[in-house]
Amino acid sequence: MKKSNSMASAEVPSGLSLSPSQDQIINRILRDLLEKCPAQFILLAELSGQIISVQGETGKTDLIGLGALVAGDLAASQEIARLTGQYQHAQLILREGPETASFISEAGDRMVIYMRIHKEVPMGWARLIIQETSRKLAEVTSMPPEEVEKIDLQLSEDKLDTLIGDGLDSIWHE
Amino acid sequence: MYINWQLRELNLKIVYYGPASSGKTTNLEQIHRRVDAAHRSDLVSLKTYEDRTLFFDFLQLELGKISGLTPKIHLYTVPGQVRYEEVRKLVLRGADGVVFVADSAPLRANDNIIAWHDMKSHLRSNNLSMDHTPIVLQCNKQDTLGAMALVEIKYMLHVQDLLGFPAIAVNGEGVLDTLKAITRGVITKVQHESAYA
Repeated sequence: MKKSNSMASAEVPSGLSLSPSQDQIINRILRDLLEKCPAQFILLAELSGQIISVQGETGKTDLIGLGALVAGDLAASQEIARLTGQYQHAQLILREGPETASFISEAGDRMVIYMRIHKEVPMGWARLIIQETSRKLAEVTSMPPEEVEKIDLQLSEDKLDTLIGDGLDSIWHE
Repeated sequence: MYINWQLRELNLKIVYYGPASSGKTTNLEQIHRRVDAAHRSDLVSLKTYEDRTLFFDFLQLELGKISGLTPKIHLYTVPGQVRYEEVRKLVLRGADGVVFVADSAPLRANDNIIAWHDMKSHLRSNNLSMDHTPIVLQCNKQDTLGAMALVEIKYMLHVQDLLGFPAIAVNGEGVLDTLKAITRGVITKVQHESAYA
């Protein structure tokens, strides 16, 4: 297979691919949510748990682990809803604690959003604003990523698989 | 897979699949132990009271910049016990590649076959094609008395052409070879898809 240099500019067909402009819009939407709600912190991840953006005060939270767990939580809750005949799109998972509450919601069909708020924030307002944010985020990822064409991600590198194999060797201790 | 073009990040999901107690979690524990902390996350494990995997184990590897890219590899295991079939299907969602960890003990032969077919069925239900999803076979527990050889397990699963490695994961043997092979397979697939997008 001959790989041309222009292939790096092509959109990768499977999975989620965000252009710089989409990335900026997403961050702006999340900052807006953080301020308006107000939220303590917000995490947006791809459905398999890979983190897209984090806003707010995260403290010492293990964000990488949290991304995987939030995605797992959503997947499990959706499956519970399906098994019990209660599945609907854009359902929310709410956890209420004595000091804080957290919401998990799908954002379109590719992303999941986690938001933690202080208990003083009215639940109805928080629910409304996270649903509106999820809708906006879904719109952003459905936009054509026009700027991707200007970026060379160097997927065309012939020896990329070897280089990544070497990368794994270099971080490995026998 | 998730690509952030701004950060030049390539995020890949690899799932370790296989029958109960075949060594899936052990693979991730060895990777966690042998990779410098600067290049990996903490190991997240959701376990039962009996220390068996309940939902999944998770570990992220960061390789740093390679040819202008920042690849991040997300490793997951599935719970192998029969009752967690629905969970296995969920964890496979969005997988870019799969490592099938077989137990080489002859007594576990049938469990390997059942798990293999179970995996094929769940890949299909996640709209993942067996033909287009990179899969690497790891024949673990080669130190077991009378352990089946790699070639025998391939024959048993009818996957003679599949890339495979013998392993004793508990000692770290075969763990890196398997990880490198599946990562390379996934990268090649991403490149191929990019070329024809």
